[in-house]
Amino acid sequence: MNALIKLELARALRNKKFLFFSVLYPTSLFLIFSSSSGSGEKVDGTGLTVATYLMVSMASFGALTAVLMGNSERIAKERESGWVRQLRLTTLPGRGYVFAKIASAAVVSLPSIIVLFAAAAAIKHVHLGAWQWLALTGVIWAGSLVFAALGVAIGYLATGDAVRPITMIIYFGLSILGGLWMPSTTFPKTLQDIAKWLPTHAYAALGRAIEQSQAPSATDVAILAVYFVLFAGGAAWLYRKDTLKA
Amino acid sequence: MVTMTTTAAPAATTPVVGFDQVTKTYGSVRAVDGISLRLHPGETVALLGPNGAGKSTTLDLLLGLKHPDGGTVSLFGGTPREAIADGRVGAMLQSGGLMDEVTVAELVKLACSLHPRPYKPAEVMARAAIEQIADRKVNKLSGGQAQRVRFALATAGDSDLIILDEPTTGMDVSARQAFWATMREQADQGRTVLFATHYLEEADAIADRVLVLHRGRLLADGTAAEIKAKAGARRVAFDLEGDIDGAALRALPFLTSIDISGQTVRIQSSDADATVHALYGLGVYPRNLEVAGLGLEQAFVAITEAEEAKQS
Repeated sequence: MNALIKLELARALRNKKFLFFSVLYPTSLFLIFSSSSGSGEKVDGTGLTVATYLMVSMASFGALTAVLMGNSERIAKERESGWVRQLRLTTLPGRGYVFAKIASAAVVSLPSIIVLFAAAAAIKHVHLGAWQWLALTGVIWAGSLVFAALGVAIGYLATGDAVRPITMIIYFGLSILGGLWMPSTTFPKTLQDIAKWLPTHAYAALGRAIEQSQAPSATDVAILAVYFVLFAGGAAWLYRKDTLKA
Repeated sequence: MVTMTTTAAPAATTPVVGFDQVTKTYGSVRAVDGISLRLHPGETVALLGPNGAGKSTTLDLLLGLKHPDGGTVSLFGGTPREAIADGRVGAMLQSGGLMDEVTVAELVKLACSLHPRPYKPAEVMARAAIEQIADRKVNKLSGGQAQRVRFALATAGDSDLIILDEPTTGMDVSARQAFWATMREQADQGRTVLFATHYLEEADAIADRVLVLHRGRLLADGTAAEIKAKAGARRVAFDLEGDIDGAALRALPFLTSIDISGQTVRIQSSDADATVHALYGLGVYPRNLEVAGLGLEQAFVAITEAEEAKQS
């Protein structure tokens, strides 16, 4: 399986479009969004500067991009092309394919987070304690597993033609409604009510709690955990169904 | 005492592939309809049939990619998955895609590292004659090149059974013949080789056993020569003058089919010598007499036509 992870990774790192969208794009968005506000400006009710607030949003967004975008499309296309079937004729256990996909995405999402943090610290003068940087990296990285599972589920649900629009709708829907692009506190009341139940909202809230030196809210942890069980369970079920059909 | 001394070791009698009354249905279509067969170590077997005969479904069942609705499938006495996990099977499928955006060499290396008894990637590529395209991206290959890469993946390690699903699809005539030599090499190393094909020439050239599949059923099982004989091995054609006594001609011995158009008579016979001898016995004077062997192609058409005639 290590050989497959290595090759998946080599392929991901070679794909410039994918690297741009998962590594440079979130950092660019962060720099653009945070440029409009002064450095001392705070986001209402958080005590965090705009740059600090946006840093977590965009790091979450970047990790989401890395684990969701590549995998859903690849899995759907490789199911259709028959590569998944060909792999099942090797000694690799069936799940190995899915694990390799998730592992390679996790390796790409890490630089995405680190590049963004470096830009935030160097250009936008975001100041945090050493433990906060480490904890943020760890939480955002680990939390991205929820969306990696979602990516696998979409890959096994959608056909090769439909996978891109479906992924895009879910990706932008989760990003924007979850408040990764702009604080959900700026949303109308109805949207705010929806936003607080979204996994992306809970995901960014965990990071923000670290920035505020607070314990993460139990509700957010629970919401993320439930979504993880849902997505991973769905992915496992769809995977098994696909295996029986193929 | 007697039974003990005559009992052979079980390993020697375990077939490589065992199908026992296997059926697979899609909706109302019986893709595989009660197939029983055994493949033995070292055999080179062609699975021959037109498109839609059930070849791909048969291979899928054999490899455990599909599960039979009825009957049992075994590989080396165990389940297909066990045999594959042990690296005893190398397979290329028509429907088997390749990982794209990686090079041929990278993909072969992956296949080697997934095999418990791998060969060196360079060796595997040399055998499949893909060294020249080693650095090419997999998604930039021609149909024939992709087939060679699939073959390389199927032969990345020391497997006992090699399954090839229409391996020469997309190759031109000379590439195909070169590829046959590669397939024979696999067989010469003592492996069991099973390949599906609708190129009848291919079955004739390589296989020492041919299974003819039609509408999910096994129509014939034998050597290429036996299958030709079963269908009517030779074609006899001649012209007759005057009125033709069709009934007398149809009664000729060993005749399997006859076609009379105008003054020309075409006969297929399983023993052309006897048929022609009897023809002279009718007191006629056949002109422009030709006796020619049937290719497996015609033999195959004859078998399937006979089967269809029986059913309708």
